[in-house]
Amino acid sequence: MEPGSPCCDEICSCEMLTQATERWRLKVSANESLRSKAYDLPDALAVNEFCWENGWTDGLPILPPTEERVIACLEVAGLAPGTVIGVERVRQRPITAEKAAINAVLAGCLPAYMPVVVAALRAMCEEEFNLHATSASTGGPAPFIVVNGPIRTLIGMNATHNVLGNGSRANATIGRAIRLVLINVLGVIPGEVDRSTLGHPGKLTFCIAEDEEDSPWTPLARERGIAEGQSSITVMAAAAPRQVMNEWTHDPEEIAETFAAEMRHNMLTYSVWAGNYFLIIPKQLREILVAAGWQKRDIQEYIFSSARVLRGDWAKVGKANIVDRSGGPTQEFNALKEPGDLLVVAAGGPAGGFGAVIPPWLGSKGRAVTKAIDLPN
Amino acid sequence: MTIRVFDPTFDETMASAASPTRLTALAGCSVGLLDNGKLGARELLDYVEEVLRFEHGVVNVLRIKKPDASRPAPADVIAALSRCDGVISAVGD
Repeated sequence: MEPGSPCCDEICSCEMLTQATERWRLKVSANESLRSKAYDLPDALAVNEFCWENGWTDGLPILPPTEERVIACLEVAGLAPGTVIGVERVRQRPITAEKAAINAVLAGCLPAYMPVVVAALRAMCEEEFNLHATSASTGGPAPFIVVNGPIRTLIGMNATHNVLGNGSRANATIGRAIRLVLINVLGVIPGEVDRSTLGHPGKLTFCIAEDEEDSPWTPLARERGIAEGQSSITVMAAAAPRQVMNEWTHDPEEIAETFAAEMRHNMLTYSVWAGNYFLIIPKQLREILVAAGWQKRDIQEYIFSSARVLRGDWAKVGKANIVDRSGGPTQEFNALKEPGDLLVVAAGGPAGGFGAVIPPWLGSKGRAVTKAIDLPN
Repeated sequence: MTIRVFDPTFDETMASAASPTRLTALAGCSVGLLDNGKLGARELLDYVEEVLRFEHGVVNVLRIKKPDASRPAPADVIAALSRCDGVISAVGD
């Protein structure tokens, strides 16, 4: 199945769900069952209202987390309910497989998506992701997830048209499941642990697949040490996408320069600190770069050289008051500590000279983390 | 006919860190004040310390500043604070 083609809903929701549920009915009766508090409600609409009243949603409707669906998610991920997926280090809160599965069902995930949700949560509990700070910060970032490998097509993820927008159940509900785990398990509720001044729309969901089939470039995960054929996720706490456009050149340096300019602008108007930046490069611009013989490494090296600002540049964006601090007007800042900090992703629809820069929350204080997705036999 | 659903929220019985017993009075206590390192934290905690000492009879106040507002407090800071009867973690944004 091509990325972006209709989701395999029938397979996932019928065969996989039924088989998983049947297997788990036996296991659960013999071993451990769900430990979470249960509620008996009249119907699905009542469940929806009940969840809203309890503050268990992101504001959108939810699906009822019934035993069958929760258990099917656990089965597909190959996890017992009490398995600890990860621990949020500051408040020392464990995220169990059971709670992750309940929230995945609430979010609308099919059981087949659960291994992706689990891998993302595992990655977010690594120290370099900085989960508590990135969840609580006034800066209001959102976990941005990029999926690589065969699972993208198996679960019908979108890597093409409208990739940063709506359209794919997998993209939408995997990202949403992460948000609901943050809300419900870690208490990342606006005005409570979540102190975001603005937040951004990616806080509802922010998950894409890389268009590996239609790109000659090395997929992101392979660049980050994941073996060919292994599915994986890369996740980073990220600011909102900044869209760029350049339809007036076939010069690869000029295209790269448009992205670099947007990064410089981000450094001046938002945060100057060096960290991981994502570049999302759709097909039209990608083909120009590919025709010129550019690999991802060429883009990384160009941007590493070009995405730099001087402290004095702040005077142009209303921040003259800090120009004379520290190293003074000639002090240089680089968007990247090294070329490999630029995470180039091939994704987006075929037409249009657009691209996007997705900046980090606060330089290298929240780093991108890549994890393999465990798929049990 | 009803539909049975499960609670998505954190279960305190799964907590790996136990919440300390809440203090019922502050007189004679030692209180740690953790400054998160942001601009307004010191001013806020100066006032909090004054209130604790003069209105609530707090005897010892331990003032510690996190080296980095955007990262968790390091182990030595947590260890020092853990010797206090109570701790206030201030966000001075």
